[in-house]
Amino acid sequence: MSLYKFNKSNEMFQRATAVIPSGISGNKNPAFAVPGSFPYFAERGEGCRYWDVDGNEYIDYLCGYGPIILGHNHPAVDEAARKQQAMGSAFNHPTVRSVELAERLVSMVPVAEWVAIGRNGSDVTAYAVQVAREHTQRRKIIMAKGAYHGSQSWCRHGIGGLIEADYEHVLQFDFNDATQLSDLVKQHEGDVATVILTPYHHPAFGDQVMPAPGFMEEVRRICDENGIVFIIDDVRAGFRLDMGGSNEYFGYKPDMICFCKGMANGYCVSAACGHMESKNAASRVFFTGTYYTNAVEIAAAMACLDELENTKAIDKMMKTGTLLQEGLRERAGAHGLQVSVTGPPTLPFMTFANESNFLRSQMFSGEAARRGVILHPHHNWFMMAAHEESDVMKTIEVADRCFAIVKKQFGD
Amino acid sequence: MITEILDTISGAIREPRLADLILADMHLYAVLPRLEELARLDEEAGAIARELDMTLEFLVRGGPRVVLTFADGKVTSYRMGRANTGLFFLSCDLLNRMFAGEDVTPIPFKGITRVGQLKKFTRLTEIMTRYLKPSDADMEDAAFRKSHVEMSLMVGLSASGVVADRDPRARRLVDDLRDGTIQYKILPDGPNAYVRIEKGVIRAFNGIVKDPTACIEIRDVDLAVGLIAGEVDTFAANGSGDVKASGDLAMADEFNGMFDRVGLYLE
Ligand SMILES: Cc1ncc(COP(=O)(O)O)c(C=O)c1O
Repeated sequence: MSLYKFNKSNEMFQRATAVIPSGISGNKNPAFAVPGSFPYFAERGEGCRYWDVDGNEYIDYLCGYGPIILGHNHPAVDEAARKQQAMGSAFNHPTVRSVELAERLVSMVPVAEWVAIGRNGSDVTAYAVQVAREHTQRRKIIMAKGAYHGSQSWCRHGIGGLIEADYEHVLQFDFNDATQLSDLVKQHEGDVATVILTPYHHPAFGDQVMPAPGFMEEVRRICDENGIVFIIDDVRAGFRLDMGGSNEYFGYKPDMICFCKGMANGYCVSAACGHMESKNAASRVFFTGTYYTNAVEIAAAMACLDELENTKAIDKMMKTGTLLQEGLRERAGAHGLQVSVTGPPTLPFMTFANESNFLRSQMFSGEAARRGVILHPHHNWFMMAAHEESDVMKTIEVADRCFAIVKKQFGD
Repeated sequence: MITEILDTISGAIREPRLADLILADMHLYAVLPRLEELARLDEEAGAIARELDMTLEFLVRGGPRVVLTFADGKVTSYRMGRANTGLFFLSCDLLNRMFAGEDVTPIPFKGITRVGQLKKFTRLTEIMTRYLKPSDADMEDAAFRKSHVEMSLMVGLSASGVVADRDPRARRLVDDLRDGTIQYKILPDGPNAYVRIEKGVIRAFNGIVKDPTACIEIRDVDLAVGLIAGEVDTFAANGSGDVKASGDLAMADEFNGMFDRVGLYLE
């Protein structure tokens, strides 16, 4: 097969840089993948595949960074959206769809006794920490080093546009180190509003780390003893591990959960939910946005959650994800390469165990992209229900060729 | 006149403002040490350096201190050590004003007899300023542009170490930076320089390091000139392939933020 070229992507990128700061903003900027060996602009999608502006076809394991959980252009979800669209979407008031979605989450998610609906993940993580502050009347937020909770000032990476006051009350500790957490809580006794964690640790530029035995239980205990609100940011992993929230998969209970990706198969909906105890505080935090009540997206979310449940989509993704993880381990081993395949099967990731500078990862991912498979070098991957075993087998074949190239270039 | 004197005195008595202190650190720890490259890159500077034979201390009240040694045409800078000639500045602000080209006379406090050598030294600093703040006419010359890039790159990388130590916002970036090295290469054949980051301390070096944690390759000297002047959108250059980053891109991106902090202090 001839390897993909990205001429049009490059051309469009040049055009973009003339009118858009950095051409493509944030994590989708080419600089964060493999510039020159990755598409920059997408054209259309179908099932587990999408096509870029050069007409190149890909099996997609990035899923729009998570939201595509059933497959691109899913008929049931799109139909629900179309039906609502025919009646209108943006009104002076919410539609009953909002109430239905809140009820749906309350009945499905054990931790949820109230639900607030937003659009992006950052909307609800920012809201959740504010609710925690309002509920406790305290200032400090504790999070894990390297965790991503969105683009709002309290947690944004880097310093662009930020002042010290933005992150003055945000403290960090190493995921899985309960002693560090407990020390921080002691140091700031009476001032810690919340500990916010992802259900397991999924930093960019690193292996995924599962909660160590007893760690989350210890977090729970520390929070209980100190009157701290324990938030799980399930924006990325939500609905790929357990329909009741990823914490259920691991067997622990936070006080609040944030959902987003995976809720609506690409329609923009997010949700924060929590216990009755924090409901009054949640009411006191002004939470709104022009599009928060748009009915089309909320109808799509209802259809997506139905479809996920009815088709047991998680079970299927667990199977295909396991097949992918095992296939990669086996093929890498056959080439004498050391890889570390981490994360749950539905959110797999792979790095090369004997490097810390991602050069092998970048070569592997770039070569895979040029052969029609998107496996990001620095960010965890996602399974979607539309991946069939045959797609995974094809992926492993491509991976096999890419391992050979890495082997040739690096030797081990 | 009176107000100037009062200004100088009160400037000397007051604790230096953080911005003045950071800039003074940059002048002594990032700019002045560039005489090392200058003596190698510029013929006249090389000749002057060969004539010099002294150890020269810069001492700033409430601020940094550096010792330059001149021996066999080579210039080396140290933060410690003894000197046989010394220049004292009453405040960070005064030092900074001298570097800005204002007429500031430091107080010689050692080796007062080496007036002749100090004069030659002053000429060296003039030549250095030519490279760091180049005129359009100078920049017409390709070899000059290359030297300008080499020295500016080293100023930027060394000054990153200074902001990392003192600038509260840069500290936030440094806290996120893991240990490792970042290589900067100007294609096709240099200049090259790299930084080593170890427990939040950043040090800059000339040349090429083996197995860097991240590597930034810049298409050519002219693009580097544009990057230094802040005229190029680095993300856009990255996407177009003019700048090629490989390795730990998160680290490279965070480090890029250090340059922005440096730029706020150094013109
Ligand atoms: C764990 C986590 N939290 C929050 C966010 C922020 O979500 P959004 O980009 O939709 O604002 C993300 C996005 O990637 C995420 O992965």
